[in-house]
Amino acid sequence: MIVAFAGANRAGGYKWARRFAYAYAALVVGANLLMVYALLVHDFSVGYVAQVGSLATPTWVTIVSLWSSLEGSILFWGAVLGVFIGIATWTNRKRYPEYMPFAIGTWLASAVFFSFLIAGPAQPFNTVINPPTDGPGPNPLLQNHILMAVHPPFLYLGYVGMTIPFGLAAAALLRRRLGHDFIRPLRTWLLVPWAFLSVAIVLGGWWAYEVLGWGGYWAWDPVENASFLPWLTATAALHSLLVMERKGFLKGWTLTLILSSYLLVILGTFMTRSGVFNSVHSFTQSAIGPTILGFFAAALVWSIALLALNIDKIENEPSNLTGTSREAMFLVNNLLLVLFTLTVLIGTVFPLLVEAIQNKQISVGSPYFDRMAVPIGTALLFLMGVGPALPWGRATKEQLKRNLLPPIASGVVILALGLLFGARNGWTLVTLFLGGYAMHVTMKEMWLPAWKRLRSGESVTKAVVDTQLRRGSRRFGAYIVHASVIIMMVAIAVSSTMKQSVEQQLRVGESMTVGDYTLTFFGAEVRDEPHRQATIAHLAAYRDGKLVTNMEPRMNQYLTQREPIGTPDVHTTFSGDLYLSVLNIDPRTNSVGIHAIINPMVGWIWIATGFLALGSVVLLIPTRRRASEQVQEIAASAPISLGPPAGATTGETR
Amino acid sequence: MKSLLPVLFLALLAAFPIGAQEVQLPAPDMIVGQPAGQPLTGAALEEQTEQVAGQLRCPVCQGLSVFDSPAPMAVNMKHQVRDLLAAGYTGEQITRYFEASYGEFVRLKPTMSGMNWIVWLAPIAMLGIGIWAVMSFLRRSNKSQRASEAVPDAGAVASAEADDPELLPYLLKVRELAYGWPGGNPPAEGDRS
Amino acid sequence: MNRKVLLIGLAIVVPIVLVLFMNLGRDPRKVDSPLVGRPVIDFSLQEVSSKQPMDIAALRGKPMVINFWATWCVPCYAEHKVLTRIARANGSKVQFIGVVFDDEPAKILRFLAENGSAYPTLVDQGGKVAIAYGVYGVPETFFVDAKGTIVAKHEGPLTDSSLMNYIAMVTGGAR
Repeated sequence: MIVAFAGANRAGGYKWARRFAYAYAALVVGANLLMVYALLVHDFSVGYVAQVGSLATPTWVTIVSLWSSLEGSILFWGAVLGVFIGIATWTNRKRYPEYMPFAIGTWLASAVFFSFLIAGPAQPFNTVINPPTDGPGPNPLLQNHILMAVHPPFLYLGYVGMTIPFGLAAAALLRRRLGHDFIRPLRTWLLVPWAFLSVAIVLGGWWAYEVLGWGGYWAWDPVENASFLPWLTATAALHSLLVMERKGFLKGWTLTLILSSYLLVILGTFMTRSGVFNSVHSFTQSAIGPTILGFFAAALVWSIALLALNIDKIENEPSNLTGTSREAMFLVNNLLLVLFTLTVLIGTVFPLLVEAIQNKQISVGSPYFDRMAVPIGTALLFLMGVGPALPWGRATKEQLKRNLLPPIASGVVILALGLLFGARNGWTLVTLFLGGYAMHVTMKEMWLPAWKRLRSGESVTKAVVDTQLRRGSRRFGAYIVHASVIIMMVAIAVSSTMKQSVEQQLRVGESMTVGDYTLTFFGAEVRDEPHRQATIAHLAAYRDGKLVTNMEPRMNQYLTQREPIGTPDVHTTFSGDLYLSVLNIDPRTNSVGIHAIINPMVGWIWIATGFLALGSVVLLIPTRRRASEQVQEIAASAPISLGPPAGATTGETR
Repeated sequence: MKSLLPVLFLALLAAFPIGAQEVQLPAPDMIVGQPAGQPLTGAALEEQTEQVAGQLRCPVCQGLSVFDSPAPMAVNMKHQVRDLLAAGYTGEQITRYFEASYGEFVRLKPTMSGMNWIVWLAPIAMLGIGIWAVMSFLRRSNKSQRASEAVPDAGAVASAEADDPELLPYLLKVRELAYGWPGGNPPAEGDRS
Repeated sequence: MNRKVLLIGLAIVVPIVLVLFMNLGRDPRKVDSPLVGRPVIDFSLQEVSSKQPMDIAALRGKPMVINFWATWCVPCYAEHKVLTRIARANGSKVQFIGVVFDDEPAKILRFLAENGSAYPTLVDQGGKVAIAYGVYGVPETFFVDAKGTIVAKHEGPLTDSSLMNYIAMVTGGAR
């Protein structure tokens, strides 16, 4: 880190900075592999293995217990950081010599902090004096589901990955210059963690849905909020980056958002690990809390100083902004996302404020956050319909009419469909209309380039592959992501307000009805597994007299826990989920208490996320654009858009 | 005296409802007063149970509501909510009843009293500030646009300088090559389309 | 130096860091009980071995220790030993009462047979008394003085020294 900062302006400095970056990456990944090895061979003389290892757990659980508890998860953080730094350094090794040493220096500063944690307060490798012969294994809730192997790594890739754009942004500020050439790596390295984080957040919701048994997927838990906050600012940054690229202004603001994303990651990690917040995720309190808070405060002060001192050198004055332009829409988009961020942040931290000042304990829970999130989300959905329909710069009345009126028809169609299926809640109906509207606009904009090509007589493959994936991959990918988000918002609205739920005690042979389904209970079975004893309720679900599926919700009694933990069973269909969870079960009297829920459209959320991931991949396809287009773009990025004068070649207008 | 005894007995019965349970506890109206609403039944009862229980925090869980939580204590509380609704107590009365035992912590939605106003007003205040910021940004940009429209040539080069001083010579060269502008400077005014 | 950025930045950042700092070390699960300082809530429950109802209103006049626990609560085992021992020594001065909720009488009887019992244990079917007392988890113990006022609530298992301190509190210092 020191070498990177000191050598920034000297010829050999960059080379040495890179070497240190690679060295860090190699060392920390090596340490992680060592820990996984220790876990697999059950070496209980290693402190962390004694804490979470166990002879009884299946192999995949043993491997993922690397990140199941605090010390191991910080070690894992280091590994992900090392891999990111290594790849980011390597892919840019021949470029941006005036920026990269500063960026590497910043990255390694973060690495230094986390290495300090690993070496000190969160030491996983300490030797145990009298090694036990067996360990307790990781928390049983973490052994119930395969998503334990997927959600944390994705979350770390998203979270830790925010360090990279942070370093790049810091480099631009330190260099007092954000040239057009630097926008590309900034964008790429913001997109990559953003995509992982998006998927990770939804995976977390899916996991909660499948494991916790209450039938919901988001509870505005402080740690859930912690993962959501950087996502919001990163999304805002991605959008203002577009304005920056096209029109040259909002540079300082974009950098502020990028810096904030990383700072919110550190705050989020503090919230999760400090034990100060009431959460499902909470680790126990330890010395690590104050340490992270100290790092957070230091990083905050440094970022504010960087911005205050350098932003004026970087920023450009905007020009020619009208209220009905796409630039203005981006401004509103940023406004809403930042408002959302600050609202969730204040709501999450508020109980602590009240505690500190009035010594009183209050709660700020789902009812509050839902009340705030619904209007903001709806406004964002509205924007997703209207924004892409507006052109850059000035819009004529003709253009407005042509772009803004036809989608209303689609909105009405979707609204009608919703009414047909029984939607009656006001907000849900508005969401359905806006969703239809936005989807119309998105589809039109998404396929516009290919459509134009097809009309001028080109073959289908060439139009699609070349225009959409090679030349227009950014546009295409972005609209795929937008379409996914629209579907997700509609699915969330519908699943929240059109739920049906029934609770009933059943004896063998008895049935209960929920929605269109009839559930019959056939008996309880006790099954012994190596690390737990499961009591399973066998039920059959019928619809219209025909058997749809067998359901087996269960209660798991782990050897190391006193209270049993329930696992629900979910049957997913296109229209919705049948969700069963066991309230109580007695194999001796063969009776069971079942909570049955119909959750409409929940499966759409998970599928939409898959498309979002796909869209992100498309977004990252490097574009091959004609040289003259690139020239035009650079020339046009000066704040005063002079446009091509008469006689000059006209490229494609976007 | 003798006539008072049955009255006293009845009063005691009213204050400590004995009924089929073995548990005897003070009646809710000693804490929140008489039921202020209508007794509910059927679908309306279930709906209101969901509403009211959805606003109460499950005491033994991490942030779940009494309605959502599968924990036995939450289920017991849910039954109590249903019984109280059936007896005609309003949602606010029921919430205050549990607040008397558990404290304000049991409310998932903070009350609008005292310091709690901050958390309710902050989002609206921030929205207001944000709208003002965006509007003034738009206004400022239109002013600068008009200012520079008056002096196009100097403006073009000057603002290109401000944008990216290190790239300026390349930018001028590119303009020269792409558009045929001598020295990279746009031709005299009157030629902008 | 852009003053606006500096001021806005600090205005957002300083309060957040301050609030977080002031909450370090505090257990977020610890909630103050509104019942402390209020009169004890009378209740009548079935005693687990005699199966007879027991009304604590009848015990007024003597300081009380009301301990909420359950057989599925691991920290309650050690606490039970402490309570039994001290109840045997101080039973004349202070009335000990155990209340078990969310549990089965058969399991409770088995537990008491194995671990001893020095005071009445009441069964709270349906958890109504636990709810009335605002119990957030087990074990929780309420300390009531001779006049019937709840003077303290202790969350978590009791130790010998902490229990003796509370007893001193409810008996007015006489040990």
